[in-house]
Amino acid sequence: MYSAILLSGGKGKRVRKEIPKQYLLLAGKPIIMHSLERIDKLSEVEEIIIVCEKKYEQEISQMAKQYMIEKPLKFVQNGETRQESVYQGLLKTKSDNVLIHEAARPFAVLDDYRNLIKAEKSNAILGCSIPYTVLKGQKYVKDILNRAELVNVQLPQKFIKSPLLEAHKKARKECVKFTEDASLLFYYDKTDIEIVNGSSFNIKITEPMDLIMGEKIYYEYIARRK
Amino acid sequence: MKTCIISGASSGIGRETAILISKKGMFDNIVLIGRNQQELERTKELMFVRDANISVWNIDLEEPEKIPDIIKKIYSKYLSIDCLLNIAGYTEPQPILSTSLNNIQITYAVNVFSPLILIREAVRYMKKNGGKIVNIASTAGMGPRPGWITYSSSKAAMISISQTLTEELAEYGIKVYCVSPGRCATKLRAKLAPDEDSAMIMQPVEVAKVITNLLLEDEQYLDGQNIVIRKRLT
Repeated sequence: MYSAILLSGGKGKRVRKEIPKQYLLLAGKPIIMHSLERIDKLSEVEEIIIVCEKKYEQEISQMAKQYMIEKPLKFVQNGETRQESVYQGLLKTKSDNVLIHEAARPFAVLDDYRNLIKAEKSNAILGCSIPYTVLKGQKYVKDILNRAELVNVQLPQKFIKSPLLEAHKKARKECVKFTEDASLLFYYDKTDIEIVNGSSFNIKITEPMDLIMGEKIYYEYIARRK
Repeated sequence: MKTCIISGASSGIGRETAILISKKGMFDNIVLIGRNQQELERTKELMFVRDANISVWNIDLEEPEKIPDIIKKIYSKYLSIDCLLNIAGYTEPQPILSTSLNNIQITYAVNVFSPLILIREAVRYMKKNGGKIVNIASTAGMGPRPGWITYSSSKAAMISISQTLTEELAEYGIKVYCVSPGRCATKLRAKLAPDEDSAMIMQPVEVAKVITNLLLEDEQYLDGQNIVIRKRLT
């Protein structure tokens, strides 16, 4: 069984709205509820840990009730960084395996979760090929990267809890920062992390334009999906 | 076990629909809701399938705030809600200068607020496995009807509600149909056009046939239209 950690602590500064993006409406539904409803349908998940700002707990609880979410929810105060939020979430999980997802990715469909869960390796992520050229460098080009060797890392991701938690503890001790958990686990554990085919529709709502694109993705890719 | 809730089954289109779906054996449980218990019991007697669970529940659609508790009880009893037919309607036609706030409130309570609350509460349970919702609007909601302002505007609202919810609920596999009958020989029509010969216009059973066809499992492709039903002149 899995504990699902749903990261919902983002401030949404880049979408330039008063409230964080995960609480904005997408196709008439709060963005966080798109993910919460789907995770709720996974029989392999026994609990959902929502990592968010304390002030949104009551609102999310109320929404969960309105949308008839059946799985038990636990709330955890988010950390200063995404990495710290995951760590705090991990501490509250009871299962030996965890699924990590972020509320700002409302287009991960049930098949994505299921493909991840049934992946051969116990640690697995969703990933897509990179359709554009990527170079190393900021002001000047420093190196050429072969995009065929690279992957666009997506969520959800699944991990065995204990090695991930240990890796987090090491990262905290050494003050090393990572942008997501596959990088962190691989850095400390060098374990096999399987890459499961993701979908280019599984975007993260980050910029104002993503909200506009998101409506289109919802109606074309999600709404009438069987 | 499949459960269908029908409002407005005490007469007219609602009664004919209840009879027809029971005849076709489409649901295991058929729940008739409304306030005219005597006429709903009469509808129950007229329904063909005696072994289906047919029950009558007392709801006054002028009091939408009481609906959530009743829908919860219906779900607790049958453990599924697969279909909701919003057929009940009300009218007291009055020109704008004569109409009262009370008339506006009752018309909207029965024709708009109660169907919306019924949908909201039913969807809480229906969203798990999908389902079908049929809203009865009217051709009166599609264009101007001087003298029928409360009724026609409430039916326009029903058309809009249906179109919006078609999109909003598609993800759950819930289909929302809007059916707009033209002149149909019901008690409500007799209020709108008291001098009309009811034998010459469309009969409720014709509308019931269309509704029943929408409920067939095979019907999965109509999507978002306002379905207009009219009798052709012969």
